[in-house]
Amino acid sequence: MTMVNDGEREVFAALADILIPAAEGMPAASAVDVQGAMLDRILGLRPDLVEAFRRGLAAAAGIPPADAAAALNRDDAEAFGAIGIVVSAGYYMTPAVRELIGYPGQVKRPPDPDETPEYVANGMLQQVIDRGSIFVPTPEA
Amino acid sequence: MTSSADGARPPRHGEEVDVCIVGAGPSGSVAARYLAEAGFSVVTLEQGDWPDAAEFPGDKPEFELVAQKQWHPNPNVRDRDRDYPINTDDSAINPLMYAAVGGSTTLYAGHWTPFMPSDFRVRTLDGIADDWPFTYEDLLPNLEAMERVVGVSGLPGNPAYPPRRAFPTPPLPIGKCGMKAAEGMDKLGWHWWPGTNAMPSVPYNGLNPCARRGTCMTGCPEGAKSTANITLWPHALKDGARIVVGARVREITYDAARNRVTGATYIDRNGRERHQKARTVILCGNGIGTPRLLLLSACTAFPDGLANSSGLVGKRLMMHPFSAVLGVFEEDLESWRGPFGHLIESNEFYETDEKRGFMRGAKWGAMPAGGPLGVTGFVGSKIFDEGGRVEDSWGANLHDLVDRRFGHSMVWGIIGEDLPEESNRVMLDPELTDTDGIPAPKLDYTVSENSSNMLKFHVDRLLEASLAAGAIETVVVHQVPDTGWHLLGTARMGDDPRTSVVDEWGCSHDVPNLFVFDASAFPTSGGVNPTATIMSVSHRQTMHMISERRNVEAA
Repeated sequence: MTMVNDGEREVFAALADILIPAAEGMPAASAVDVQGAMLDRILGLRPDLVEAFRRGLAAAAGIPPADAAAALNRDDAEAFGAIGIVVSAGYYMTPAVRELIGYPGQVKRPPDPDETPEYVANGMLQQVIDRGSIFVPTPEA
Repeated sequence: MTSSADGARPPRHGEEVDVCIVGAGPSGSVAARYLAEAGFSVVTLEQGDWPDAAEFPGDKPEFELVAQKQWHPNPNVRDRDRDYPINTDDSAINPLMYAAVGGSTTLYAGHWTPFMPSDFRVRTLDGIADDWPFTYEDLLPNLEAMERVVGVSGLPGNPAYPPRRAFPTPPLPIGKCGMKAAEGMDKLGWHWWPGTNAMPSVPYNGLNPCARRGTCMTGCPEGAKSTANITLWPHALKDGARIVVGARVREITYDAARNRVTGATYIDRNGRERHQKARTVILCGNGIGTPRLLLLSACTAFPDGLANSSGLVGKRLMMHPFSAVLGVFEEDLESWRGPFGHLIESNEFYETDEKRGFMRGAKWGAMPAGGPLGVTGFVGSKIFDEGGRVEDSWGANLHDLVDRRFGHSMVWGIIGEDLPEESNRVMLDPELTDTDGIPAPKLDYTVSENSSNMLKFHVDRLLEASLAAGAIETVVVHQVPDTGWHLLGTARMGDDPRTSVVDEWGCSHDVPNLFVFDASAFPTSGGVNPTATIMSVSHRQTMHMISERRNVEAA
């Protein structure tokens, strides 16, 4: 079910590019289509955001996006926050963006339990041991 | 006390049992497992469900998004049907918990940090607060037994503790992030040790080895974080224990003529009121749920709450106010890698030095900083967001922030001892209820001057440690509201019925077949994450109940 109409997507895409523009070698939010299927996915995962998100878009309609973002940030923190979560979550969940920042996601990387830790091999931990115990013992009854 | 005739047969509905346990978190699950093994007939009432690892979001791309809502540790934010709301209007800290088999450990970070010897003797050593009725050495056998169940990973020989038995599984890697933290500590000559965590490094007692996903605090999709639904309940069920999930207890029933509790009245998942008859009742609902239930069970004989002749039920709530220091480094630390348990820990400033302007001390834990959303937040809160103008946190600055911090950040967290104060307390809210209409708790909690001064001192030291490690940027978050993971002290144990709710074995001074085995009974809070001590104390009390089974006063 589409919760957001085409007009709202346009407003969102413009606001999204104010929040996440093309800069520092990274693409703008709309260039990775945060206003497309990803938007539906995000709002489906976080239905609690929908009301404030749409309220923010309604307030931003017809206003230059930079001015709209500043006004929302000033006047409706909840709506601005909802838009911010939706755009940033969608952006950083996009595989192309993850590749650009070198983030594979929270992937498995099982350790080797038999490997000698570096801090043991290089003597770092021995310094801690050599400084001696630091606990206060149980006082005599 | 009698045992069931057939120890391996689960008690039938309506049958009076030897023991009814309220709450299947770490303490209740320990009690259920060992009482059932000893032949007691046991029913545990748990308001949550069995956790489903397939639902945990850590292996899904939306992990960070849903961690801010559906998997947030604050029940008021999460707002699930199985949670009860908590009025925190007058609390500086929001209590965090999770209703499920396994309890709040479903969402814990798995830091395994037993209380230290001085924690049991605060009055004797520092002239403040209270001593425990037993010592570190008394509890050590229970701790070591629990570590063999939990599958703790760690390296023996930590000079912050007296010599003790080695951990059952080898330590997890501390990674580049932990190495960076250790480098700073070494430059300053300060104590550190590879983190001990409640997650094994090899297959152990039904647990898979930690795969370092780093999503511990939204449930472990690998089945590697040690929780009671994996490590204790399979054994308990095999030995005939019964658990009722979706059971919301609203009252402990009491027979004034005999001065005995007789069981628990609960609302089942279908909204029907039921009663579980029991010869003994053990409360394990955590430091808020347990006093809530005692207050809900007020009766003519105990108008201020069941077993509350001392007036201390609900008082002395301790929640470990928390601050953190984020360090950003030039090097790529791969700091989204797990475990999200602590990579290294330090007890350098754990003990009292009055010259610092406060009493007692704190433990530090170095942790990774999470994914790209996490670098502007911490465990679901936008706490590293300085706010202000749009362009401060967004626009080109967002790209710059993520480029600078993502993978390059490390967080030092501070768990400081919270001293008991009777003004910090749990009450019943006159209006707010859970979805079954049971009155919800209301908190009155202020961060003490001692805690505030302690956190400031430790933040300053951690800024030094971060800079010594080579941090190019630091960010401090002081007294974060959503950090009430540790709920302690609201039905304290002690020898004097006038100044304590239960005795050293968790038995009510007022009602001889009513027990509290959870952290409500803690006289003081320590300055460490408490799950290791919670499980150890419950094990101690359970073993005593078993050994004294013929002498326990039953209904």
